[in-house]
Amino acid sequence: MTHGSAVRDAWTPAVSPGWKVTVVTPTETETTIAVGTLDDGALVAAAVEGRRDAFDVIVERHRRIVYQVCFRFVSNHEDASDLTQESFVRAWRGLRTFKGHSALSTWLYRIAVNVCLNRVSAKAPATEPIESTDRLEDTRIEGAQATLLREERAATVRKAITSLPKKQRATLILRTYHDLSHQQIADILGSSVGATKANFFHALANLKKLLGNEP
Amino acid sequence: MTHLTSDELVDALDIALEPSRQIHLDACQPCQQQLSELDAALNTARGIAVPEPSPLYWQHLSARVRTAIDAEPVAVDRWRQWLRWPVLAPIGGLALIVMALAATLPQETTVDREIAVSEPLGVSLDDRFAIVADLVGDIDWDTAVSAGLTVAPGAADLALLELTATEQQELTRLLQAELTRAKS
Repeated sequence: MTHGSAVRDAWTPAVSPGWKVTVVTPTETETTIAVGTLDDGALVAAAVEGRRDAFDVIVERHRRIVYQVCFRFVSNHEDASDLTQESFVRAWRGLRTFKGHSALSTWLYRIAVNVCLNRVSAKAPATEPIESTDRLEDTRIEGAQATLLREERAATVRKAITSLPKKQRATLILRTYHDLSHQQIADILGSSVGATKANFFHALANLKKLLGNEP
Repeated sequence: MTHLTSDELVDALDIALEPSRQIHLDACQPCQQQLSELDAALNTARGIAVPEPSPLYWQHLSARVRTAIDAEPVAVDRWRQWLRWPVLAPIGGLALIVMALAATLPQETTVDREIAVSEPLGVSLDDRFAIVADLVGDIDWDTAVSAGLTVAPGAADLALLELTATEQQELTRLLQAELTRAKS
């Protein structure tokens, strides 16, 4: 008998009074451990067959990257949480359509990006710098003030990225932060490699314009 | 030589520029300047991390996803979707019409014509059916569809319109009789 199993005396057949049949049911912990050892493909297969715990493991494995994609799009935690949740719900709905031609993570990227593209309103990039960053050059600022300024700078860059046109933003995020190839990004966005490279180029050019003189 | 295109500048960022174009880049100040600016923007973006949520957040997120999925309507198999009254009722009605039509067809004429055709050839109806069955026995549904051997949409409606007034009256009578029988 497996350690930690829940053993239930479920049935004693009348025809063989000398025997006692027991049904061994794995505990919830054992089931989780079992699916936790499966690779992504096997998890998808199990989830398609109705194993909710298998999908829980998929969520557990990929929630961070999906959240990060969403956060990069919207630059705030609440919206990123909502988008992450919606991405996984859509993944659950479409699990049968996952054929394993690409990695599960790539498939989830695609879903997350599409959710973000559908939800996030298109904003034309501003043509002038968002704010002056001259004071960032001041090396005399130390300690807490420096930290504050770093956070302020990060917020400025995030805001600039958020104001990029949607496809440029998606391309920049997937290429810069998730290290996807132009081909993978093209597959996710349903475009060509040439279009992806053009989007990446314009995203960087617009980012430079938005951030003004800041390197 | 022409300056680097946007695609080539991106390739240069990826250190994947073709050697011939790399030679141009090494010698071209404007292209180097443009590449440098793109590289600076890329490095600026790269330096920005996503704030890490609290450790408890991930469990909370998983629970949210689980709850949302639990609220999803249960998926119904496609073939079950056909077993619904809005689908079954029209199909049943159509089947009834076809059955009624079959019942009202003049049987004698058909038999006479069959005899007239079969007698000179000396081939019985069973033999002809066996030949046809032999020929079409291995044809699957897709092949039959592509060969145009299936009933076209609306064919039953057209057949109904071609009935004579007497045949329509008889059809109405049969349908009413069938409905009365079903109610009882």
